[in-house]
Amino acid sequence: MRRSHEPISWSLFGAGGMVLALIGPGMIVSTLLLPWLAQDPQALYVSFSTGLRHPLGTCAALAVVALPLYHTAHRLYHGLHDLHITGPGWLLGGFFYGGATVLSALCAFWLLAL
Amino acid sequence: MRKPWQPRQPRDWWLHNPAYRRYMLREATALPLLLYTLLLLTGVYQLTRGPVAFSAWLAWLQTPAMLLLQGVALAAALLHAVTWVALVPKILVIDSDRLRIAPRHVLRAHQLAALGCNLGLIAATLWLLWPVGGH
Repeated sequence: MRRSHEPISWSLFGAGGMVLALIGPGMIVSTLLLPWLAQDPQALYVSFSTGLRHPLGTCAALAVVALPLYHTAHRLYHGLHDLHITGPGWLLGGFFYGGATVLSALCAFWLLAL
Repeated sequence: MRKPWQPRQPRDWWLHNPAYRRYMLREATALPLLLYTLLLLTGVYQLTRGPVAFSAWLAWLQTPAMLLLQGVALAAALLHAVTWVALVPKILVIDSDRLRIAPRHVLRAHQLAALGCNLGLIAATLWLLWPVGGH
């Protein structure tokens, strides 16, 4: 029997939904305030890049980017169905879940390159 | 050969019922939230390119288009948070012989957690970055 991808995609969707509910609004307010609060962008660059070089910082940043990517990809993928926009499953699924995977991998690559 | 039954449903099925419109609005929050996540991803990329690129990214956050995106994303995130937390007690049912927690307690715990995490993050940002005199 062919295995369904649904348990994996739903877990990532659920985790991403929780991340967005717990810290989504707070993150957005923080990035709205960031440019005004940052009197010294150089110092902010140093603290961000050292913070994200720490394994905990790397994991947190990856979670904050990758999980919402999977969450929103899952919602938009099923939203297309609601809007009666149909297409081959492998194409739409590949675009949304594949896109989220590629961008998450890029994020991990950039975080490790810091 | 598989011949699935195709229900006939008008394309604008969700427009004529307030509950369906609310459902679609909730699902639509995914789009600004995706764009905002891409904004964060570009920030990670600019960090790898060095301090000059990162400063340019900070300035880019203040352009009208990015302020608009963040404003819409903030509204979307608030709607998402409220509706997501409201759904938690329907999905997380703790009702076994060993442990039984009433849905309203599950709801209240998640409401408090969401409020605490979001306000805590904003407080941490303010506390860490509040201008402490000229550098």
